[in-house]
Amino acid sequence: MKVDIGREIQQSAEETAGKIRGLLAARNVFSVNLISSPGSGKTTLIEKAIEALRGRIRIAVVEGDMETDIDAARIRRHGVQVHQINTRSSCHIPPFLLLSALDHLDLDAADLLFVENVGNLVCPAEVPLGEDLRVVALSVAEGDEKPLKYPLVFKTSDLLVITKTDLLPYVKFDTDRVKTAARAVNPRVEVFEVSSYTGSGLSSFLERIEELCRRKIG
Amino acid sequence: MHELGIANDILDIALAEAKKHGNRRITRVDLEVGVLRGIVPENLVFLFGHVAKGTIAEGAHLAIEEQPARVECGTCGTTEARVFTIGCPGCGSPTARVERGDAMRILSMEIDD
Repeated sequence: MKVDIGREIQQSAEETAGKIRGLLAARNVFSVNLISSPGSGKTTLIEKAIEALRGRIRIAVVEGDMETDIDAARIRRHGVQVHQINTRSSCHIPPFLLLSALDHLDLDAADLLFVENVGNLVCPAEVPLGEDLRVVALSVAEGDEKPLKYPLVFKTSDLLVITKTDLLPYVKFDTDRVKTAARAVNPRVEVFEVSSYTGSGLSSFLERIEELCRRKIG
Repeated sequence: MHELGIANDILDIALAEAKKHGNRRITRVDLEVGVLRGIVPENLVFLFGHVAKGTIAEGAHLAIEEQPARVECGTCGTTEARVFTIGCPGCGSPTARVERGDAMRILSMEIDD
Protein backbone atom coordinates (compact mmCIF):
# COMPACT_ATOMS: atom_id res chain seq x y z
CA MET A 1 0.00 0.00 0.00
CA LYS A 2 1.32 3.40 -0.97
CA VAL A 3 1.36 6.17 1.65
CA ASP A 4 1.87 9.73 0.40
CA ILE A 5 4.11 11.76 2.69
CA GLY A 6 5.51 14.85 0.95
CA ARG A 7 7.60 16.04 3.90
CA GLU A 8 10.87 17.91 3.96
CA ILE A 9 13.49 15.71 5.55
CA GLN A 10 15.09 18.17 7.94
CA GLN A 11 11.81 19.39 9.39
CA SER A 12 12.93 18.69 12.96
CA ALA A 13 16.07 20.75 12.37
CA GLU A 14 13.92 23.55 10.94
CA GLU A 15 11.66 23.46 14.01
CA THR A 16 14.60 23.77 16.41
CA ALA A 17 16.11 26.52 14.25
CA GLY A 18 12.77 28.33 14.53
CA LYS A 19 13.05 28.18 18.33
CA ILE A 20 16.56 29.63 18.17
CA ARG A 21 15.34 32.37 15.85
CA GLY A 22 12.48 33.21 18.24
CA LEU A 23 14.76 33.29 21.28
CA LEU A 24 17.28 35.57 19.58
CA ALA A 25 14.50 37.84 18.32
CA ALA A 26 13.05 38.12 21.83
CA ARG A 27 16.46 39.09 23.22
CA ASN A 28 17.19 41.37 20.26
CA VAL A 29 20.36 39.59 19.20
CA PHE A 30 21.62 39.43 15.60
CA SER A 31 23.20 36.07 14.78
CA VAL A 32 25.84 35.10 12.25
CA ASN A 33 26.53 31.49 11.24
CA LEU A 34 30.15 31.43 10.11
CA ILE A 35 31.08 28.48 7.90
CA SER A 36 34.32 27.47 6.18
CA SER A 37 36.82 24.68 5.77
CA PRO A 38 39.15 24.07 8.72
CA GLY A 39 41.91 26.67 8.75
CA SER A 40 40.31 29.40 6.63
CA GLY A 41 40.56 31.94 9.43
CA LYS A 42 37.09 31.93 11.02
CA THR A 43 38.31 32.37 14.59
CA THR A 44 40.70 35.14 13.56
CA LEU A 45 37.88 36.97 11.76
CA ILE A 46 35.80 36.83 14.95
CA GLU A 47 38.75 38.13 16.99
CA LYS A 48 39.13 41.02 14.53
CA ALA A 49 35.42 41.78 14.77
CA ILE A 50 35.55 41.82 18.58
CA GLU A 51 38.41 44.33 18.56
CA ALA A 52 36.99 46.52 15.77
CA LEU A 53 33.47 46.71 17.19
CA ARG A 54 34.44 46.99 20.87
CA GLY A 55 32.43 49.66 22.65
CA ARG A 56 29.80 49.77 19.88
CA ILE A 57 28.44 46.25 19.51
CA ARG A 58 28.44 43.69 22.32
CA ILE A 59 29.59 40.39 20.86
CA ALA A 60 28.99 36.87 22.18
CA VAL A 61 30.45 33.77 20.57
CA VAL A 62 29.54 30.10 20.31
CA GLU A 63 32.46 27.99 19.12
CA GLY A 64 31.89 24.65 17.44
CA ASP A 65 34.62 22.04 17.12
CA MET A 66 34.67 18.27 17.24
CA GLU A 67 37.03 18.38 20.21
CA THR A 68 38.85 20.80 22.59
CA ASP A 69 38.10 24.30 23.81
CA ILE A 70 41.14 25.85 22.12
CA ASP A 71 39.03 28.34 20.16
CA ALA A 72 36.89 29.33 23.14
CA ALA A 73 40.09 30.03 25.10
CA ARG A 74 41.30 32.29 22.28
CA ILE A 75 38.02 34.21 22.23
CA ARG A 76 37.84 34.44 26.03
CA ARG A 77 41.11 36.37 26.09
CA HIS A 78 39.27 39.19 24.32
CA GLY A 79 36.93 39.55 27.30
CA VAL A 80 33.67 38.57 25.62
CA GLN A 81 31.13 35.86 26.45
CA VAL A 82 31.92 32.56 24.80
CA HIS A 83 30.62 29.01 24.98
CA GLN A 84 32.32 26.02 23.38
CA ILE A 85 30.35 23.19 21.77
CA ASN A 86 32.15 19.89 21.19
CA THR A 87 30.24 17.96 18.58
CA ARG A 88 32.35 14.76 19.01
CA SER A 89 31.43 12.73 15.95
CA SER A 90 29.18 15.31 14.29
CA CYS A 91 30.59 17.27 11.36
CA HIS A 92 28.43 20.36 11.99
CA ILE A 93 26.66 22.12 14.86
CA PRO A 94 23.17 20.59 15.09
CA PRO A 95 20.43 23.07 16.04
CA PHE A 96 19.63 21.36 19.36
CA LEU A 97 23.23 21.83 20.55
CA LEU A 98 23.15 25.52 19.68
CA LEU A 99 19.82 25.92 21.47
CA SER A 100 21.26 24.43 24.67
CA ALA A 101 24.49 26.44 24.28
CA LEU A 102 22.45 29.64 24.37
CA ASP A 103 21.50 28.81 27.99
CA HIS A 104 25.14 29.45 28.91
CA LEU A 105 25.16 32.98 27.54
CA ASP A 106 23.61 36.17 28.90
CA LEU A 107 21.81 37.18 25.73
CA ASP A 108 20.53 40.41 27.26
CA ALA A 109 24.16 41.50 27.39
CA ALA A 110 24.78 40.72 23.70
CA ASP A 111 23.91 42.44 20.41
CA LEU A 112 25.71 40.15 17.99
CA LEU A 113 26.16 36.39 18.28
CA PHE A 114 28.84 34.74 16.18
CA VAL A 115 28.33 31.00 15.77
CA GLU A 116 31.56 29.51 14.48
CA ASN A 117 30.56 26.25 12.87
CA VAL A 118 32.69 23.11 12.68
CA GLY A 119 35.30 23.51 9.94
CA ASN A 120 33.62 21.86 6.96
CA LEU A 121 32.28 23.19 3.66
CA VAL A 122 29.73 20.42 3.18
CA CYS A 123 27.51 19.48 6.12
CA PRO A 124 27.00 22.85 7.87
CA ALA A 125 25.44 24.12 4.64
CA GLU A 126 22.59 21.65 5.13
CA VAL A 127 21.75 22.66 8.66
CA PRO A 128 19.76 25.77 9.62
CA LEU A 129 20.74 27.42 12.90
CA GLY A 130 18.11 30.15 12.95
CA GLU A 131 20.72 32.67 11.88
CA ASP A 132 20.06 36.16 10.54
CA LEU A 133 23.14 36.04 8.38
CA ARG A 134 25.14 33.19 6.91
CA VAL A 135 28.75 33.93 6.08
CA VAL A 136 31.03 31.55 4.20
CA ALA A 137 34.78 32.16 4.37
CA LEU A 138 37.17 30.81 1.74
CA SER A 139 40.91 31.30 2.02
CA VAL A 140 42.93 31.85 -1.15
CA ALA A 141 45.14 28.91 -0.17
CA GLU A 142 42.20 26.52 -0.68
CA GLY A 143 41.93 27.11 -4.42
CA ASP A 144 39.44 28.94 -6.62
CA GLU A 145 37.35 25.93 -7.64
CA LYS A 146 35.60 25.53 -4.27
CA PRO A 147 32.25 27.12 -5.25
CA LEU A 148 32.08 24.61 -8.10
CA LYS A 149 32.90 21.65 -5.88
CA TYR A 150 30.78 22.65 -2.88
CA PRO A 151 27.95 24.71 -4.38
CA LEU A 152 25.38 24.41 -1.59
CA VAL A 153 27.27 26.45 1.00
CA PHE A 154 27.79 29.22 -1.55
CA LYS A 155 24.15 29.03 -2.61
CA THR A 156 22.88 29.43 0.95
CA SER A 157 25.28 32.13 2.21
CA ASP A 158 24.55 35.86 2.29
CA LEU A 159 28.17 36.95 2.41
CA LEU A 160 31.31 35.36 0.96
CA VAL A 161 34.56 36.44 2.58
CA ILE A 162 37.71 35.60 0.67
CA THR A 163 40.40 35.43 3.38
CA LYS A 164 44.22 35.44 3.51
CA THR A 165 44.48 37.72 0.44
CA ASP A 166 48.04 38.56 1.57
CA LEU A 167 48.95 35.09 0.24
CA LEU A 168 47.71 35.85 -3.30
CA PRO A 169 51.24 36.37 -4.70
CA TYR A 170 52.18 32.83 -3.63
CA VAL A 171 49.13 30.79 -4.66
CA LYS A 172 47.20 30.11 -7.84
CA PHE A 173 43.85 31.74 -7.08
CA ASP A 174 41.66 33.60 -9.54
CA THR A 175 39.41 35.84 -7.45
CA ASP A 176 37.15 36.64 -10.40
CA ARG A 177 36.62 32.95 -11.06
CA VAL A 178 35.40 32.48 -7.50
CA LYS A 179 33.07 35.46 -7.71
CA THR A 180 31.60 34.28 -11.03
CA ALA A 181 31.07 30.75 -9.73
CA ALA A 182 29.56 31.94 -6.44
CA ARG A 183 27.20 34.33 -8.20
CA ALA A 184 26.10 31.60 -10.62
CA VAL A 185 24.59 29.68 -7.70
CA ASN A 186 23.73 32.75 -5.64
CA PRO A 187 23.22 36.07 -7.49
CA ARG A 188 22.58 37.97 -4.23
CA VAL A 189 25.85 36.98 -2.51
CA GLU A 190 28.00 39.90 -1.35
CA VAL A 191 31.74 39.29 -1.71
CA PHE A 192 34.49 40.73 0.51
CA GLU A 193 38.23 40.25 0.15
CA VAL A 194 40.17 40.46 3.39
CA SER A 195 43.50 39.78 4.98
CA SER A 196 43.40 39.47 8.76
CA TYR A 197 47.21 39.57 8.68
CA THR A 198 47.59 42.95 6.97
CA GLY A 199 44.12 44.26 7.82
CA SER A 200 43.31 44.85 4.15
CA GLY A 201 39.56 44.83 3.43
CA LEU A 202 38.60 44.09 7.03
CA SER A 203 36.93 47.43 7.69
CA SER A 204 34.46 47.18 4.81
CA PHE A 205 33.53 43.63 5.82
CA LEU A 206 33.05 44.55 9.48
CA GLU A 207 31.16 47.75 8.61
CA ARG A 208 28.72 45.61 6.62
CA ILE A 209 28.29 43.22 9.55
CA GLU A 210 27.66 46.16 11.88
CA GLU A 211 25.19 47.73 9.45
CA LEU A 212 23.20 44.50 9.11
CA CYS A 213 23.29 43.99 12.88
CA ARG A 214 21.99 47.50 13.56
CA ARG A 215 19.26 47.03 11.00
CA LYS A 216 17.87 44.28 13.24
CA ILE A 217 18.62 45.48 16.75
CA GLY A 218 18.11 49.20 16.11
CA MET B 1 29.07 11.86 7.41
CA HIS B 2 26.02 14.10 7.19
CA GLU B 3 24.14 11.31 5.42
CA LEU B 4 23.84 9.57 8.81
CA GLY B 5 21.73 12.36 10.28
CA ILE B 6 19.62 12.42 7.15
CA ALA B 7 19.15 8.64 7.28
CA ASN B 8 17.92 9.00 10.88
CA ASP B 9 15.51 11.77 9.87
CA ILE B 10 14.11 9.63 7.07
CA LEU B 11 13.63 6.71 9.44
CA ASP B 12 11.91 8.92 12.06
CA ILE B 13 9.48 10.32 9.50
CA ALA B 14 8.76 6.90 7.97
CA LEU B 15 8.15 5.30 11.38
CA ALA B 16 5.86 8.17 12.41
CA GLU B 17 3.83 7.72 9.22
CA ALA B 18 3.72 3.94 9.67
CA LYS B 19 2.31 4.43 13.17
CA LYS B 20 -0.75 6.10 11.62
CA HIS B 21 -1.27 2.89 9.62
CA GLY B 22 -1.02 0.29 12.37
CA ASN B 23 2.79 -0.02 12.31
CA ARG B 24 2.73 -2.24 9.23
CA ARG B 25 6.08 -3.23 7.76
CA ILE B 26 7.70 -0.59 5.51
CA THR B 27 8.99 -2.06 2.25
CA ARG B 28 10.00 1.02 0.27
CA VAL B 29 10.64 4.73 0.81
CA ASP B 30 10.74 7.20 -2.09
CA LEU B 31 12.87 10.34 -1.81
CA GLU B 32 13.59 13.33 -3.99
CA VAL B 33 17.08 14.76 -3.56
CA GLY B 34 18.50 17.74 -5.46
CA VAL B 35 21.88 17.36 -7.14
CA LEU B 36 23.20 20.43 -5.28
CA ARG B 37 22.71 18.71 -1.92
CA GLY B 38 26.03 16.95 -2.18
CA ILE B 39 24.49 13.66 -1.13
CA VAL B 40 25.97 10.39 -2.26
CA PRO B 41 22.94 8.13 -2.86
CA GLU B 42 24.93 4.94 -2.19
CA ASN B 43 26.01 6.27 1.22
CA LEU B 44 22.47 7.22 2.12
CA VAL B 45 21.11 3.82 1.08
CA PHE B 46 23.81 2.06 3.10
CA LEU B 47 23.28 4.19 6.21
CA PHE B 48 19.50 3.95 6.02
CA GLY B 49 19.83 0.16 5.89
CA HIS B 50 22.01 0.38 8.98
CA VAL B 51 19.76 2.64 11.08
CA ALA B 52 16.60 0.76 10.04
CA LYS B 53 17.86 -2.55 11.46
CA GLY B 54 15.59 -3.91 14.16
CA THR B 55 12.70 -1.63 13.13
CA ILE B 56 9.67 -2.23 10.89
CA ALA B 57 11.65 -0.51 8.14
CA GLU B 58 14.43 -3.11 8.18
CA GLY B 59 15.20 -4.18 4.63
CA ALA B 60 13.07 -1.41 3.07
CA HIS B 61 14.23 -0.24 -0.35
CA LEU B 62 15.28 3.41 -0.36
CA ALA B 63 14.52 4.79 -3.83
CA ILE B 64 16.25 8.11 -4.54
CA GLU B 65 15.06 10.26 -7.40
CA GLU B 66 17.57 12.95 -8.25
CA GLN B 67 16.14 16.41 -8.83
CA PRO B 68 18.29 18.04 -11.52
CA ALA B 69 19.41 21.64 -11.20
CA ARG B 70 17.37 23.96 -13.40
CA VAL B 71 19.59 26.47 -15.10
CA GLU B 72 17.92 29.63 -16.41
CA CYS B 73 19.93 31.21 -19.17
CA GLY B 74 19.22 34.60 -20.75
CA THR B 75 20.89 33.49 -23.95
CA CYS B 76 19.37 30.09 -24.72
CA GLY B 77 16.46 29.61 -22.29
CA THR B 78 16.24 26.97 -19.62
CA THR B 79 18.16 23.74 -19.33
CA GLU B 80 18.33 21.00 -16.77
CA ALA B 81 21.70 19.92 -15.45
CA ARG B 82 22.50 16.70 -13.62
CA VAL B 83 26.01 17.81 -12.78
CA PHE B 84 26.81 21.26 -11.47
CA THR B 85 28.76 23.36 -13.95
CA ILE B 86 29.71 26.99 -14.10
CA GLY B 87 27.79 28.71 -16.84
CA CYS B 88 24.98 27.37 -18.98
CA PRO B 89 25.22 23.65 -19.84
CA GLY B 90 23.44 24.48 -23.11
CA CYS B 91 25.46 27.36 -24.55
CA GLY B 92 28.22 28.04 -22.02
CA SER B 93 26.98 31.55 -21.18
CA PRO B 94 28.55 32.59 -17.86
CA THR B 95 25.48 34.58 -16.82
CA ALA B 96 23.21 31.53 -16.41
CA ARG B 97 21.57 31.15 -13.00
CA VAL B 98 20.95 27.96 -11.09
CA GLU B 99 17.36 28.12 -9.87
CA ARG B 100 16.64 24.68 -8.45
CA GLY B 101 18.31 21.48 -7.34
CA ASP B 102 18.27 21.64 -3.54
CA ALA B 103 15.20 19.52 -2.76
CA MET B 104 15.33 16.96 -0.01
CA ARG B 105 11.99 15.40 0.77
CA ILE B 106 10.23 12.10 1.33
CA LEU B 107 7.63 11.68 -1.38
CA SER B 108 5.92 8.48 -0.27
CA MET B 109 6.45 5.01 1.07
CA GLU B 110 5.09 1.50 0.61
CA ILE B 111 3.80 -0.52 3.54
CA ASP B 112 2.42 -4.04 3.75
CA ASP B 113 -1.26 -4.31 2.85
